[in-house]
Amino acid sequence: MKGMTTAVAIFVLALALAACGGDTVGGGGNSSEATVAKGGPVKGQLTISNWPGYIDPGPQGTVAEFEKDSGVSVDYIEDVNDNNTFFGKLQPQLEQGQSGGRSIFVVTDWMAKQMYDLGYLQEIDPNDLPTVFENLVPNLENPSFDPGRKFSIPWQSGMTGIWVDTAKAPGIKSVNDLFDPKYKGKVTFLEEMRDSVPLVMKAEGVDPEEATDADWEKAIERIKGAADSGQIRAFTGNNYTEELTAGNIVAAVGWSGDASIVENPNAEWRMPTEGCVLWSDNMVIPVGAPNVGAAFGWMDFVYQPEVAADLTEYITYVSPVDGVQDVLRKSNPQLANDPLVFPSAEFQENCSTQDSPPDVETVSAAWADTVAG
Amino acid sequence: MNLKQRLVPYWLLGPGLLWLILFFVVPMYFMGELALRSGSLTTGFTLTWEWANFPDSLSGHTEQILRSFFFAGTATLLALLIGYPLAYAIAFRAGRYKPLLLFAVIAPFFTTYLIRTIAWKTILSDDSPVVSVLQALALVPEDGRVLATPAAVIAGLTYNFLPFMILPLYANLERLDLRLVEAAKDLYASSRTAFVKVTLPLTMPGIVAGVLLTFIPAFGDYINAQLLGGTGQAMVGNVIQSLYLNQRDYPEAAALSFLMMALILAIVTVYIRFAGTGAFMGDEDEGRA
Repeated sequence: MKGMTTAVAIFVLALALAACGGDTVGGGGNSSEATVAKGGPVKGQLTISNWPGYIDPGPQGTVAEFEKDSGVSVDYIEDVNDNNTFFGKLQPQLEQGQSGGRSIFVVTDWMAKQMYDLGYLQEIDPNDLPTVFENLVPNLENPSFDPGRKFSIPWQSGMTGIWVDTAKAPGIKSVNDLFDPKYKGKVTFLEEMRDSVPLVMKAEGVDPEEATDADWEKAIERIKGAADSGQIRAFTGNNYTEELTAGNIVAAVGWSGDASIVENPNAEWRMPTEGCVLWSDNMVIPVGAPNVGAAFGWMDFVYQPEVAADLTEYITYVSPVDGVQDVLRKSNPQLANDPLVFPSAEFQENCSTQDSPPDVETVSAAWADTVAG
Repeated sequence: MNLKQRLVPYWLLGPGLLWLILFFVVPMYFMGELALRSGSLTTGFTLTWEWANFPDSLSGHTEQILRSFFFAGTATLLALLIGYPLAYAIAFRAGRYKPLLLFAVIAPFFTTYLIRTIAWKTILSDDSPVVSVLQALALVPEDGRVLATPAAVIAGLTYNFLPFMILPLYANLERLDLRLVEAAKDLYASSRTAFVKVTLPLTMPGIVAGVLLTFIPAFGDYINAQLLGGTGQAMVGNVIQSLYLNQRDYPEAAALSFLMMALILAIVTVYIRFAGTGAFMGDEDEGRA
């Protein structure tokens, strides 16, 4: 049985390595002056990290068209399932000034800000992106986290609300309904604290933009209670769409544009009666990004209204590109009038901008304990 | 023996030793050092000999640690109960199908572990035929489910680590000297007595190895709990993953990993003592005598 002893030794070793997960010491604090990304010719190879279901695939898709148009060979990876996990995975490399070969990440507002504050992003000179800055919708030009768009270029915007399987639970209209014992074990929440918790705060009549740490903790407490009792089936990333498709759940806290990946004809996104959470995902250029020229080429390419309209038609999120609605009015009038894709001010009246709690560290720890119950 | 000859064993030991130093000792050192740091992502983690990280990492996570024991222990027991008869049948009753059956045991490994677990998600989904059958048999309540329950996590662990139980058992059973069982029967032992007094003790090394190979990875696993479990089914592996990837409390994650390794090591030591060192450490004659 000597072989077995060795096998056990190897297993202990593998376990140790798996548990260890790298020898980086971590720690930020290198937030010295951010460098300005240097452009270049649009050619060569480009690697982009984005969320699943966030692009139109295939030979007529945006990636293929860009490749044909520019001659750049694109490696498009869908490895962002959740901001925290993606950040956790890349942080040791970013700390060393490397981006893991990626030239563009797509992350949500607060994560873009967090990465920028840690010195993990390069700044962008508007002169390098003429199409982007010409076509960017005015209401996204000066977000509070990045006035003037120094380091983030919106990819898509959207709303966090409730996905409902209308055949099984037509009555769900408010976030409070998700806590109804009738739907025990048939409801999922998002792992993303800044999506799930503000929605619950709104359901309790608290304005998330003004919320104190105590408000956050109270809402987390309520979610934790529902998780412990089995009311909430799971906390998910983008994969709540699979649960809806498989018919495992009747409702989920989820994002407005995911219709293209929810393959359940009865599922629809609903604006909660108490309003939604608004956010944008942004293209950012990390430190150590190779081939920034091609990255700029990509950003300018996707900001052409025709290209952006194709993308909107497929992924049905809110486009940050001016002129998309005009293009679609001709080709797809139904979509051009969809309030989820072109939401009016009245539709979003009660919505709040996605925000972080005052004491991020403490509240995040309480949230993490809730999610990993 | 001249010097050159005496050095031969060390040369042979070299590659393995190098591997261990590079991929075990060095990472362990860094992890140990990390566990004693304090700070946050923004300020950076500095070495302050923060021994409190160790007790801190346990507080609030005892539930998940106990759950890991329960899940991994149950899965190991189930794997043994399923694996032993199977290994026995393959070793003694399979005839010319032996290679085919062994291949069947190993075949799932041609697909990655992750894909197989995701497949179980589909198989066990609430509206699946499997769950309907279980409901019809009243094994699952009418409005009940399998996915996102402890049973699903345990089933996933059992399934994923079953071959690690079967293969050592088979290797052991296959070399069992059947003449000893025959002798027992000649001495008026019933089949049951012969099994309990002869076969079982002789296959102890296989059982010990199989149990260790199943329990250790199952204890640290987080994929099954993540994919097949729901709220309230997180294992200690999920806690470490969350500490490392979501909360980015690297020191506490390292401290908890260290404690879990120490715990496993302690359990294995006691277990081997209890189950007989000789039998496990390759001294088979002790078992046979």
